[in-house]
Amino acid sequence: MRKKTLIIPFAIFLLILIAFFNLLLKERNPSDIPSNLINKKIPEFEAKSLLRSEKFLSVEKFGNEVILVNFFATWCKPCRDEHVYIKRFSDEKKIKIIGINYKDKSQKTIQWLKKLGNPYSNIPIDKNGRIAIDWGVYGIPETFVVSPKKIIKYRHVGPITKKSFEKINLIINEIKNDN
Amino acid sequence: MVPSLGYFALCLSLCFAVLQLLISIKNNSVVFVTYRVVINGLLISSLISFFSLIFCYAVSDFTVLNVFQNSHETKPLFYKIAAVWGNHEGSMLLWILVLTLFNFFIFRLYSKKNFLFISKVLQTQSIVIIGFVIFSILTSNPFERITPSQNSGLGFNPILQDPALAIHPPLLYVGYVGFSAAFSFAVAVLSSNNIEKIPWYSYMKPFVLFAWTFLTIGIALGSIWAYYELGWGGWWFWDPVENASFMPWLLGTALLHSLIVAEKRKSLQAWVLLLSILSFLLSVIGTFLVRSGILTSVHAFALDPSRGIYILGLTAFLGCYSLILFATRSNKFIRKNYFSFLSKEGSILVNNILIVVVCSTVFLGTIYPLLVEIFTSNKISVGEPYYNSTVIPIIIPAIIIMGIGPMMNWEKENGKKYLKKIIPAFSITCLITLLIFSIYQSFSFIGVMGIILAFWLISNNLMILIKKEKNYLKSMAVAHLGVGLLILGITGSSVWQKEKIINMKINDKVNVVKYNIIFEKIIEITGPNYIAIQGNFLVYDGKENIIAKLKPEKRFYPITNNITTEVAIDTNILRDLYIVLGKGNENDGWIVKIYYNPLVIWIWIGALTVFLGGVISINNNLKKLKILL
Repeated sequence: MRKKTLIIPFAIFLLILIAFFNLLLKERNPSDIPSNLINKKIPEFEAKSLLRSEKFLSVEKFGNEVILVNFFATWCKPCRDEHVYIKRFSDEKKIKIIGINYKDKSQKTIQWLKKLGNPYSNIPIDKNGRIAIDWGVYGIPETFVVSPKKIIKYRHVGPITKKSFEKINLIINEIKNDN
Repeated sequence: MVPSLGYFALCLSLCFAVLQLLISIKNNSVVFVTYRVVINGLLISSLISFFSLIFCYAVSDFTVLNVFQNSHETKPLFYKIAAVWGNHEGSMLLWILVLTLFNFFIFRLYSKKNFLFISKVLQTQSIVIIGFVIFSILTSNPFERITPSQNSGLGFNPILQDPALAIHPPLLYVGYVGFSAAFSFAVAVLSSNNIEKIPWYSYMKPFVLFAWTFLTIGIALGSIWAYYELGWGGWWFWDPVENASFMPWLLGTALLHSLIVAEKRKSLQAWVLLLSILSFLLSVIGTFLVRSGILTSVHAFALDPSRGIYILGLTAFLGCYSLILFATRSNKFIRKNYFSFLSKEGSILVNNILIVVVCSTVFLGTIYPLLVEIFTSNKISVGEPYYNSTVIPIIIPAIIIMGIGPMMNWEKENGKKYLKKIIPAFSITCLITLLIFSIYQSFSFIGVMGIILAFWLISNNLMILIKKEKNYLKSMAVAHLGVGLLILGITGSSVWQKEKIINMKINDKVNVVKYNIIFEKIIEITGPNYIAIQGNFLVYDGKENIIAKLKPEKRFYPITNNITTEVAIDTNILRDLYIVLGKGNENDGWIVKIYYNPLVIWIWIGALTVFLGGVISINNNLKKLKILL
């Protein structure tokens, strides 16, 4: 009886070890922030559009193709850093990108886009951050991949880097192949 | 040249460690002199390797990748050197150096009476050393070169430029690594056949004391840094890395006390062995959690999955080996002499169990988010409320017993006589508690409990010290007095803390507790490698006298593009006033955070007193050990 209880520390240690190995071999990023909106329909919204006179209605603009939704602002430095990749999505990959201009001054945004180039097909203005709240945005920049059926497939928090650019491309191709 | 020398010395350490392992296995045929050469060689080569890296940092040798990534030529020399252990690779080198130092001191115990046993201890110690040296060479070589050579380093984080933080890691490592000696002793005891005549617990005790004492002060310095440098108003955040140091400390505390019982009464031996193994395993698991990137924490190290796999593999090897040995061979160390609950050893045992329960609770809280992630895809985090509601209820009885236990006799205590002994301390506690509450006038349950417990410990240990009673150890009384002071500070600063976050413009006035604080002006200043804005705040007491001028800063370091906050604190023995300058501008005003933190200084005084108790005890135990050998 007594002899058997002495094995308990080893047994517990073994369980912890298995758990750690499991986590280590799993491909995961500890700073990933999962979204509750993954595989759900996009939150609908309407807003003023930056470069057009018409109102932006999400009901009309989404659907039929894969669309990237990118929350950005001119006051956010990482947004400027990821801009090259946003442009590559639109120029090389011919992906439609909706850029949601978060709590920004419209005049500044227009200047910014003139200088850096405009990769966005449409720029709804999120003056008070309402749309960002509906989309569960954690901090900008943030990018969502929306399927042709208006389903959110992937969310990327923070600026897009070379690595995440490739990953998002893979995800887009997967969605395209599924359809 | 020097980097190659350092790398060569590191490889040489590996050779010496392997030699030590071989010698200790074939123990009988080896002469003492060979042993000494190998062990000194191991120590010297690790020293050379470590100082080579220090040299590379001191002269800013940017051909070395590690220096390039973690240092900058504009940094003061002191912080250049501190940067050596501020990163993963350098800290592993320090870790190895401390391992070999303990190895060296274990060898000092070697004598004709015990050479078989000590040789077994050195055998385990050499396995641990080999494990970590290979780890360093394969996955985290600090001497790796960079081509083409660079003219300027990438600098390091300015919030790490702080004296408390510069010496905090070495002290912590002495603590963590010190438990390796306890581990090696435990494995040697379990694998030896004729152990009855060897007082292994007395050999082990100074090492454990040393590790524990340094771990105590190391953790305290980490807290001091967090309090003064981070500007979050607190000193402990239950961060996974803080927990990783707190858990070995808890087990170390339990180990230390049960070692006393093992020494005096020859009981609890199996328990001592288990605690020795677990304290070191927890130190290594802590390192694994921090360095593998498996958890997110403020202490992020550069991440590399191969490191995680290696450390976990090493942990698995050491853990399986020692715990299987424990499961199969510790039976003979269990004696069936039950002892009375009302005795010194009874109270130590109860407290030991409580401490181990606290440690398991903290461990569960630390890895719970990971477990949840394995079984579901959810992400959760465990924070202060969990620890407050689980740790505090278990720690309260432990502290009550901590006040009662030391005054009891060994073996059996007479209840009536005992009550007489504690009456003076008990009455003092009641008096002071009433006094404190008439000052602070806040009656939360935790507050009342904390103050009673603190003064319970302070009064009965002070009495022991004042009366100079021969029955009690001075070191114990000093250390326990320190814990009393610590609890006083912890209670005050967590129960009665007041926080105000407001937007202030120049000449605005704000009232915190009984102080009026006026935002006088804001000025720009330039430091050695930063520029800053500095807010000037005047603090008036209730009678409109200026009692302090506080100048919190917001610094900008152009080299790394970092912004840091410099807290301004006015300290006295009753409270801290803590001001942080936040974001803002001339027109809209600045966000200002003001904390009123009662009794914080007693946390540091308490920790220092505990450390002092530890030092006295190390000294006593070394004297005892000299007689034994």
